[in-house]
Amino acid sequence: MSREETAESARDEGDPLLSVRNLQTVFHTDRETIRAVDDVSFDVYPGETVGIVGESGSGKSVTARSIMGLVDSPGEVLPESSIRFNGQELTAFSDAEYREVRGSGIGMVFQDPQQSLNPVYTIGNQIREALEINRDITGAQATKEATKLLESVGIPDAKRRLDEHPHEFSGGMRQRAVIAMMLACEPDLLIADEPTTALDVTIQAQILDLLKDLQEERNLAILFITHDMGVIADISDRVNVMYAGQIVEKASVENLFERPEHPYTRALIESIPGEHSRGEGLNTIEGEVPTPNAPADHCRFAPRCPQAFGACDKMAPQHIDVGETVEHTAACLLYPEDKAEGERLKHHRALAGGDDVKTEVSNDE
Amino acid sequence: MNRLLYLFKRLLLAVPVFLFGITMSFMVLYLGPIDPVLNILGQDATPEDIHQLKVALGLIYQDGSTVPLWSQYLKVLTDLLTFDFGQSWIIQRGTPVGDLILNRMPVTLWLGFWSVVVALVVGIPGGLYAGLRANTWRDYIASGGGIIWRAMPNFWLAVMVVGLLSAGGLLSFYPDLWVSTDVIGTSDSVGNLFGSSQVFAGMPLLEAIWVPVPKWTNIATAIKWILPAALVLGSSSMGNEIRIGRTAVLESINSKYVETAKAKGVSGRRIVTKHVGRNALIPLLPIIMSEFYLLIGGSVLVEKVFSIRGLGNMFFRGVLGPDIPLVMALVFLFIIVQVTVNIAQDILYTFIDPRITLEDTER
Repeated sequence: MSREETAESARDEGDPLLSVRNLQTVFHTDRETIRAVDDVSFDVYPGETVGIVGESGSGKSVTARSIMGLVDSPGEVLPESSIRFNGQELTAFSDAEYREVRGSGIGMVFQDPQQSLNPVYTIGNQIREALEINRDITGAQATKEATKLLESVGIPDAKRRLDEHPHEFSGGMRQRAVIAMMLACEPDLLIADEPTTALDVTIQAQILDLLKDLQEERNLAILFITHDMGVIADISDRVNVMYAGQIVEKASVENLFERPEHPYTRALIESIPGEHSRGEGLNTIEGEVPTPNAPADHCRFAPRCPQAFGACDKMAPQHIDVGETVEHTAACLLYPEDKAEGERLKHHRALAGGDDVKTEVSNDE
Repeated sequence: MNRLLYLFKRLLLAVPVFLFGITMSFMVLYLGPIDPVLNILGQDATPEDIHQLKVALGLIYQDGSTVPLWSQYLKVLTDLLTFDFGQSWIIQRGTPVGDLILNRMPVTLWLGFWSVVVALVVGIPGGLYAGLRANTWRDYIASGGGIIWRAMPNFWLAVMVVGLLSAGGLLSFYPDLWVSTDVIGTSDSVGNLFGSSQVFAGMPLLEAIWVPVPKWTNIATAIKWILPAALVLGSSSMGNEIRIGRTAVLESINSKYVETAKAKGVSGRRIVTKHVGRNALIPLLPIIMSEFYLLIGGSVLVEKVFSIRGLGNMFFRGVLGPDIPLVMALVFLFIIVQVTVNIAQDILYTFIDPRITLEDTER
């Protein structure tokens, strides 16, 4: 796979473009604190596509908004979190500094193209606005550049369509226009938050192909967020599986689908429609994602996990290397697989650090 | 569709509205217990006088038989449509209605103008402010104020304001605050100040202001004099603007397109002025436009309580008269204003919201 190889080689060369460490985003309500993103860490290297996949409510979108600095009160990115982009620590940025990063550093495409364009301004106006703010291009030059951008995202008759309003565009065209608008800022990283979810399947495939082409042309890094395992398989180089605010498994896309190790990932893959014969019916995961409002002193998937055992409710699992290849980890007490249960628990405890209070409890097992 | 063509179509559609409004007014006036003749001549009138007057007013024929109602109706209708408003029956017997209206119009326009200004200047920024600071104590004060202003009925608020400002009222300790002694606050209250103020003493407003040189002190006096009434008249629009403005701003600022605009690096100020502003204007437009109706027709109660001798006050007395030619002419005028405002509003919509077109068959 050539795409995989280029991504691998890019990673060997240097530092990650985006490096998220211990990201914690909480939402304060009157009654409780919801840990929408709870200790998430991952990297994105230049030119590669990293997927984040998970059910609704697993914290994918909040992760994206945290990176963009778009989390507003009552949400808060806790101070222990670190988001490094191009060597800069974004969490320390002021509003004005963050504005510099948005657009020209990191662009973002949202789920609903029906609503992500301002209905009262023309497409051209909104693309030119991005050009003016990020690249100081105005006037006739901006119109020319905007036409070029619309053409590059595959909108025919671009010059005329610049003068049209969003409601005159179809859903797929609108998403293309949003992508063109974000490309106008010349970002190094594009965060795509379920960009194809609101589109029908054929349009979905077109948008995915477009993103792949643009990535190749511009060496664009993409952080792709979706709940759709099929889309993830199509576009990602590496995948992070999220559950209830935490990443439970990280792997290259091949490893993830060939050798899923975390019980949640396995369940997700088994519930993809069409993977099984008709007679069996569709596998589902019973129950729903819990609201992460308590500290993670246990495995949050345990209540729905077919392989859960006693310690799962008492101890937070740590990421363990599970594959022969690099960077395949799963946060599950079933690993390392070759060890007995007691050994495994000890291993996780050691990784978590000795001062963990919960350690005493699980000693009694 | 071409905007001119649309305008033409709307004007055609306005014809039934005119007919309906005039017919309803005519019926209400004529079917009510009216006796203009008695009101004009008083109790001691001789039968001959009564007979003559009735003939003069077009109520009976010379031979004493009643003019049929439909015939009177047709006369009223044709007169109005040919802009022949006739002469006043009661208010100023014999004066052409057109002159009466032109004479009173400046005061009402002056009142309406300031009520619109007060409402716009306080209401729109207030709504923006509340929406941008949603759910803070500042917002609660602003939007709570909006609800209170909206909820206070005109006639009640008018009485309260007059009470506060006139002699013996709470604010009468500071007569210079609003009113020089010849404005409000004398025992005659607002009524005779209108006569004694040089500004509106029987002459058109423009003359008072512009000829021969602008009399700035007169303008200042005129503004000071009208503001309490303008505040009362504009109060409910002002409250509405705060409430609707707040909602519109909130809806827009939480929208996906604002988030997308932020994601492409647009600054907060520009988000408010460009992306939120125009979208928030869409629901505000009908409220702003309805204010222009205040310019002419919305002021009956307020003018009555403040004893401002404008069109509204005259309309009220005309109905009681009944001074039928005057009332019909005013109704005609009110309908013209209302229809014009409605058409203007629909055309303005197409300028601020491109999703609205004047086509009725498209897609």
